[in-house]
Amino acid sequence: MRKSLRINHHPLLGEMDKKVISFTYNGEKLQGLEGEPIAVALLANHIRILRRHEESGSARGLYCGIGHCMECRVELLGKGQVRACLTPLKEGMEIREGSRLPNAITGRVDS
Amino acid sequence: MRHVNEGYIVCRCEEVTGKQLEDAYLLGAITSRQLKMKTRATMGACQGRVCRQLVNLWLSKKDQCADKGVEPLSYRTPIRLVTFGELAGEE
Amino acid sequence: MSEVQQTDLLIVGAGPAGLSAAATISADRDFRVMVIDEFPEPGGRLLGQFHEERNHSWWIGKIVAADLIIQNTLAGVMIQCGVSVYGLELLPDGWRVLTSKGDIRTKYLLLATGAAEVPMPISGWTLPGVMSIGAAQVMANVHQVKPGERGYIVGVNVLSLAIAKELVVAGIEIEGIALPPDDLFAMEETNPVAAIELLTRLSDAAPAPWMRWGGKLAQKMKLSRLIASCFPKKGVKVWDLPLQLRTALVSIQGVDQVESVIVADVTRSGEIIEGSQREIEVDFVAIAGGLYPLAELAALAGCPFLYVSELGGNIPVHNERLKTTLPNLYVAGNITGVEGAQVAMAQGRLAAHSISYDAGWFACEEEPKLLDAIAEVKEVRRSAMIQFHPEIDSARKRIYELFEHWM
Repeated sequence: MRKSLRINHHPLLGEMDKKVISFTYNGEKLQGLEGEPIAVALLANHIRILRRHEESGSARGLYCGIGHCMECRVELLGKGQVRACLTPLKEGMEIREGSRLPNAITGRVDS
Repeated sequence: MRHVNEGYIVCRCEEVTGKQLEDAYLLGAITSRQLKMKTRATMGACQGRVCRQLVNLWLSKKDQCADKGVEPLSYRTPIRLVTFGELAGEE
Repeated sequence: MSEVQQTDLLIVGAGPAGLSAAATISADRDFRVMVIDEFPEPGGRLLGQFHEERNHSWWIGKIVAADLIIQNTLAGVMIQCGVSVYGLELLPDGWRVLTSKGDIRTKYLLLATGAAEVPMPISGWTLPGVMSIGAAQVMANVHQVKPGERGYIVGVNVLSLAIAKELVVAGIEIEGIALPPDDLFAMEETNPVAAIELLTRLSDAAPAPWMRWGGKLAQKMKLSRLIASCFPKKGVKVWDLPLQLRTALVSIQGVDQVESVIVADVTRSGEIIEGSQREIEVDFVAIAGGLYPLAELAALAGCPFLYVSELGGNIPVHNERLKTTLPNLYVAGNITGVEGAQVAMAQGRLAAHSISYDAGWFACEEEPKLLDAIAEVKEVRRSAMIQFHPEIDSARKRIYELFEHWM
């Protein structure tokens, strides 16, 4: 198990005081802090791939971190596509990576 | 000589490369708006918040005389992700 | 349908400018004030910033934000987070603002939407693990999760050095701060000479004494070329940061996420020295292309714009009192030009006095407060630790002149 990326004792900013909760990503059970953005909880678990480009399927992750770039769109069960960098994590959330669209929708012809 | 690398992506949302901008330019798309129409750069999910600056910068270097004030790209509602539910006033 | 909310003043953006405006106006008047922001918590860019002052004490944005939030709460200001504005419309008696949580009608509207980051496209920059430097700052300082264990920063400017230092304080390894490749997407600081010129403008905030003293001298004597020639290829440590002005980051590698970067030595004018390419293992890359004013809402409203490079881009035309050319619409903070948080806070206070004055109560009392607030903005700008651009005052004058011309 890799070490979490959380900064536990920040010399100037102190500690985060949030409750640990559970959620799933692509079916895998994970833990995060209540209220932190989904993308942050995933990053703390070393998960960077949040989406596949709709047409090419290339991997995408967090880019701007403040809701401008739309790169971190994930599928949140019951809500549809949300920006992982702005959406607060709640207990029991079921999240999946944003997926590549089927060829029938994009009209893509794979060479 | 400048290090030329036009094969990589400029518009992340629509996966438009520098090469595609170059090709469109050579075909006569010489303003930001024309480049956008031709290549779809700036027309993706972020609505150009990321690459609009790049397209303008690229163009200004292509054409040193280009006036940055000429034919700027416009903005249209909605400028943020909004669901039909939210439009209908759902919580 | 959700109910239409009503207020006297709606502020879009709960950052340094927006929160300061709300606290100032509500402390003075019986006036309904609402602040909205799409981030889950108020504070904006204050939340992620800290720097060491001249007297070696630390200025911590999170604490400044907490103080402003308390002032607002005590004054009865409603702060709503997680609300995105997607449109707006001028009404005969104010503005209708369309948000993800329903419409808001307001008499006065203050746009304090801050800035967005200028990207720099690099081969491989869509890989997960490549993020804007602002995102790295938000991860480390706001959410307290490392953007990665070891990273490379591309782009040498005020923002990249300040944030690189914050990342090091948080225990993140920075392998290097290098230049972007000099291609058709490169901004001004892409070659070593230009980067040194830019760094020497930082005055008191320059990260090394040789830049502060040598910098001023270099500026006067045009020594940047010489410094660029002498700058060691390995880079030098400034603020404990590996600043590499003779290195460009040419490519980011990885299958599904960042695994390494390729860097190369460059000549003093920015050309890559063939054969000097080497691969360095990292797990994140932060792109620092600088900031531009985020003014989409002003554009939707119909404000005229002026391109001002010293202020970071297209600026909605406004006057010294932060009024736009449209009725009851005001701007404050980085939407008026890219500067530091302390200037944004002073502008927020000024916008509050400007709105009180225009609202017409006690005008004779408001006038001196308004003039004081204008003077305060100038004073804060003059004494700021980080000078974003030396020509800010004259650049701002051009906008005010255009306002007069327009009206």
